[in-house]
Amino acid sequence: MTAYVLQRLALMLVTLFAIITLTFFLMHAVPGGPFVSDKMMAPEIQAAINAKYHLDDPIWVQYLNYLRGIATFDLGPSFKYAGMSVNEIIAQGLPTTLKVGVLALICVVSLGVPLGIVAALNRNRWPDTLVMVIATIGVAVPSYVIATVALYFFALRLGWVPTFGLDDWRGYFLPVFALSGFWISFIARLARSSLLETLQMDYMTTAKAKGLKPGQILFKHGLRNSLIPVVTVLGPVVANLITGSFVIEQIFALPGIGRHFVLSITNRDYTAIMGITIFYAAVLMVMIFIVDMLYLVLDPRIKYREAR
Amino acid sequence: MSQPLLSVRDLRTSFFTSRGEVQAVRGVSFELRPGEILGIVGESGSGKSITCMSLLGLLKSNGKVIAGSALFEGEDLLQLDDRDLRRLRGDEIGMIFQDPMTSLNPTLTVGEQVIETILRHRRISRAAARQRATELFELVRIPSAAKRLRSYPHEFSGGMRQRVMIAMALSCDPKLLIADEPTTALDVTIQRQILALLRELQSRLGMAVILITHDLGVIAETADRVLVMYGGMVMEEAPVRRMFARPSHPYTRGLLASIPDLRDGTHQRLTPIPGSPPDMRRPPAGCPFAPRCRNAMAQCVKALPPIYEVDAGHGSRCWLHHAEAPRVEGINELVPA
Ligand SMILES: Nc1ncnc2c1ncn2[C@@H]1O[C@H](COP(=O)(O)OP(=O)(O)OP(=O)(O)O)[C@@H](O)[C@H]1O
Ligand code: SF4
Ligand SMILES: [Mg+2]
Repeated sequence: MTAYVLQRLALMLVTLFAIITLTFFLMHAVPGGPFVSDKMMAPEIQAAINAKYHLDDPIWVQYLNYLRGIATFDLGPSFKYAGMSVNEIIAQGLPTTLKVGVLALICVVSLGVPLGIVAALNRNRWPDTLVMVIATIGVAVPSYVIATVALYFFALRLGWVPTFGLDDWRGYFLPVFALSGFWISFIARLARSSLLETLQMDYMTTAKAKGLKPGQILFKHGLRNSLIPVVTVLGPVVANLITGSFVIEQIFALPGIGRHFVLSITNRDYTAIMGITIFYAAVLMVMIFIVDMLYLVLDPRIKYREAR
Repeated sequence: MSQPLLSVRDLRTSFFTSRGEVQAVRGVSFELRPGEILGIVGESGSGKSITCMSLLGLLKSNGKVIAGSALFEGEDLLQLDDRDLRRLRGDEIGMIFQDPMTSLNPTLTVGEQVIETILRHRRISRAAARQRATELFELVRIPSAAKRLRSYPHEFSGGMRQRVMIAMALSCDPKLLIADEPTTALDVTIQRQILALLRELQSRLGMAVILITHDLGVIAETADRVLVMYGGMVMEEAPVRRMFARPSHPYTRGLLASIPDLRDGTHQRLTPIPGSPPDMRRPPAGCPFAPRCRNAMAQCVKALPPIYEVDAGHGSRCWLHHAEAPRVEGINELVPA
């Protein structure tokens, strides 16, 4: 068990290293640079900048320097914002992204799972049909469409919520809704099909034949097994809620990491792009790791297989 | 003769599917005395499992008991409400299923699965239930019982899992144990061990057993009495010795003929009689076995034969037992000794 966890951690480091390397060389393979913009720069200024950011060093020296920086959790200076480090950019955006992301996650779990259960237990009756119709729309319609339509109705037409920003608590409604809509639908569908499958299992008949009460059968024998696939996707879901929010942050003008990411791309802020990409990758991997550990607790068969 | 423990009368069960009503059980009657082992044998789809599932209200949601009664210690199981039925399940009536690989919950320890059954039906502490579970594991001869309670099903072999199922089914001292093909999914050697265990436990604890199987060898070794089912009906019923010595129904005779020699101890599965069982969505008006029966007559297709009592406790559902039927050796005419 400990060996397995250590093995997983080591694998994570190797993966992260590969991602850093790949990101670094890809960024450097892209023609043009952050300071190549519309107006030509004087050669001496260009030289000074190159010197300041060590852009004249051989690429492998730059690479090693970059690695050394990351090893100390330093993602380097921003190319575009003078005096600001990539760390600071991330630190500035993280609270907003995290707040919206965590609220969205709470919605996904506390709405998606129960909706799926209600649908499964009412299979082919109206609650099921209703949930499935809504969930199908939620999965099919892209989040930016939901966001734009919701913005139009609730903010512009009805004026219930502000159109942008998070200064007012009501400002959270639309971004959280737009961000979680897809995943609520996705999880509802997954929980439904998973529970329906579990209800057909032989051990559910055994549980019934033992005289257990319907609640015991559903919660103790049914849910635990049917939530395993749900937990499996929860890692990528969390990562997606945190990293995938840049469209939503753009639409609602939220000062999160996603917004900075989009800005850094349009600014060709190389270190920021690299830094945020690596940050996203790290978040994703940590989430998947946490979920795998959770999975280990939920499904004893895994422990056994991995231990061998 | 003692009072029957279970008395099933004219049980009819159907499934309502998008492709019509499937008449899975069409008027099954039988009795079971306390401590008796009743074997139910028949080809796949003949309604053996559904008969038993109907008794305990374990049918899938599209299944429904249409008619009949099933008196268990004087109470009609088919009339009980959910609460009362739940009280009986796992307590007075235990059940074992065919596939021990899938009938235990993979995410709970085997101990927990036994303990929760005990706690459901007995007002005792968790510690006492655990103690009882350990004793049950010892009873079904699971080595290092106390330790094994903490194992998960995947850490057991098929035979060991079936022992867990048996321990679970016996945890509340049931008066009736229903075993639905308890050995079909196991290796031959394990099959023998499990059957020996079941026989031993039965004689020790004295519960009545309904043993469903495809295997006539299992019936010969284990059962006191046999029901032969076909097309959702009982075709023949007899004490086990009588059934093997003097089978009276053409279907039973076909089944027995397909076994080379019972006495050499090889457990032969039924090799099917040519032809296939009737479509239960449109069951024939006459004898369901008629299309495959060597002795079929015009009458057989027209009307369903009644059960004729050919001897005390020996019934056979066949027109050949009618007084005016032609004589067929071995069925309505004794084989010369
Ligand atoms: N859920 C269901 N929906 C529709 N038909 C069903 C359902 N369950 C069982 N049946 C039908 O009921 C009939 C009897 O099934 P049953 O399981 O009792 O057979 P069996 O004698 O136990 O066979 P086996 O030896 O294969 O276990 C079969 O024709 C089967 O197709
Ligand atoms: S009733 Fe007729 S068809 Fe049916 S078993 Fe007897 S002889 Fe054969
Ligand atoms: Mg069956």
